[in-house]
Amino acid sequence: MGQVEVVLISGRTTEQGTSLEIGKNSEEYFRNVAIVELSAADAEKLKIGDGDGVEISTQYGSVVVKGRISKGLDRGSAFIPYGPWSNQVLGGPTRGTGMPTFRGLKAILKSAEGREVQSLLEIVKTFRRGD
Amino acid sequence: MVEHPNVVCPFCGCLCDDLSITVEGNRIIKTKNACAISQSKFMNHEKNRIDAPTVEGNPVSLDEAVEASAKILASAKRPLVYGLSSTECGAIAKAIELTELLGGVIDNTSSVCHGPTILALQAVGEVKTTLGEVKNRADLIIFWGSNPTEAHLRHLTRYSGTVKGLWRPEGRKGRYIVAVDVRETKMSRLSDLFLKIEPNGDYELLSALRAAVRGAKIQAEAVAGVPRKQIAELADRMKAARMGVIFYGLGLTQSDGRHLNVDAAVGLVEGLNHHTKFVLMPMRGHYNVSGANAVTAWQTGYPFAVDFSRGYPRYNPGEYTAVDLLSGGEADAALVIASDPAANFPAEAAKHLAKIPVITLDTKMNMTTMLSRIVIPVAMTGIEAEGTAYRMDDVPIRLRKVIEPPEGLKTDAEVIQKIIDGVKAMKGGM
Repeated sequence: MGQVEVVLISGRTTEQGTSLEIGKNSEEYFRNVAIVELSAADAEKLKIGDGDGVEISTQYGSVVVKGRISKGLDRGSAFIPYGPWSNQVLGGPTRGTGMPTFRGLKAILKSAEGREVQSLLEIVKTFRRGD
Repeated sequence: MVEHPNVVCPFCGCLCDDLSITVEGNRIIKTKNACAISQSKFMNHEKNRIDAPTVEGNPVSLDEAVEASAKILASAKRPLVYGLSSTECGAIAKAIELTELLGGVIDNTSSVCHGPTILALQAVGEVKTTLGEVKNRADLIIFWGSNPTEAHLRHLTRYSGTVKGLWRPEGRKGRYIVAVDVRETKMSRLSDLFLKIEPNGDYELLSALRAAVRGAKIQAEAVAGVPRKQIAELADRMKAARMGVIFYGLGLTQSDGRHLNVDAAVGLVEGLNHHTKFVLMPMRGHYNVSGANAVTAWQTGYPFAVDFSRGYPRYNPGEYTAVDLLSGGEADAALVIASDPAANFPAEAAKHLAKIPVITLDTKMNMTTMLSRIVIPVAMTGIEAEGTAYRMDDVPIRLRKVIEPPEGLKTDAEVIQKIIDGVKAMKGGM
């Protein structure tokens, strides 16, 4: 199974903004935020299409989200909207600033092979269990 | 049916104050001039609201929830008060008063957005301006690591890009727009020049531009992925501008270098002011994150990350910032006001929130309310309650109330005052 190394950046999107105002427990929020945008070249290497599950792993953790192919990205770059899913893989020391590493982090992408994306409630449950 | 003119949008740091909101009965039925996000906020404000105060998931009265909250906070050794950027200044002032009373730590969401900006500006200073001045004068607009087409949807049409100003009557044609980003976006496509920068390359590129502005020849073929020809051309264009502005976002503050990137941007602007008028402005996200910094600064002396455990305010980002306090397992209780740290913090910090008693004041369900021991619903500021907020250029604007809140809901400030009263009673009438 192929994998690609990317530099992961996070940020706002309009859809993240409009759907959080509907509600973070809404279907719209899940659909717009539990995603990763990647280049067509990297998607091809992973043999995944739009909407297929992608596992993102960094030194801080891993998460499954839906892949979305973006023309604006070069091979080796990936974008994830701010939210509970991005925060499973971002983080680290704030180096005396209060700010963790939210952008420019090395990550490995691979096909999630049918594994489901966790819902908000499922993430909360893993926090409660202390996983 | 009543149409309220000049309503202020309580979403992002643009604080657009030209919305018309049509109300029938006590329901919003139409918005005018609102962007997609603002429209969603006004039209969906009733959806997914928290119905009633809860303790351990069980509905209780407001007074019971307040009493339970006061008990948790008064007995905590290291309580954290956090959030505040999506509420009005009066509530922020109350939150500071409560934190002082508790001997706790208060932090706002700027620690995970423009906190590094503040660190840099405290060290090297700032050239300030207003969005009105940009609208009327600026002919060179640079968006660096920020994307208004996704996050500040009317910035370009109201303040910076296409708007007609007093000395920019041609609107878009009178302005040259530059985007600096690691990827192609809607913003880069509608810019006159797009510099595609390598991730974490901001400090290098800013330094190269500073050198070019001073007349140095760049030896390297490219810096951070940007060809030296483009760097030289941009430096010349910057010097030739009548008034230039760099709007920068979290691409600078959240990448490697953090505050040092902003420091380099200030240095560039300083150099340019030997040639022309040049300014820089952070693209503040939440509608009153600037107000959270302002109120905290005028009441404690510091804009965020303030510890009252010794009875007087101390400031130390990296230690008293929320992410650090939670990741280190230091906080033993938290009061969250108008924010969702469980969703917005790295998992390591968010997980600690599941281990300690959390009290959340908010309008809608979110990940933090799901983790909280106590949840207190409040009126939605800017729609159901008024107050003052600070725009991204630190201009204070009065938020409007267009409808009544659901029955029984108080404002953030009112609920915090009740908690203050409760804590005082427990601590023996201080």
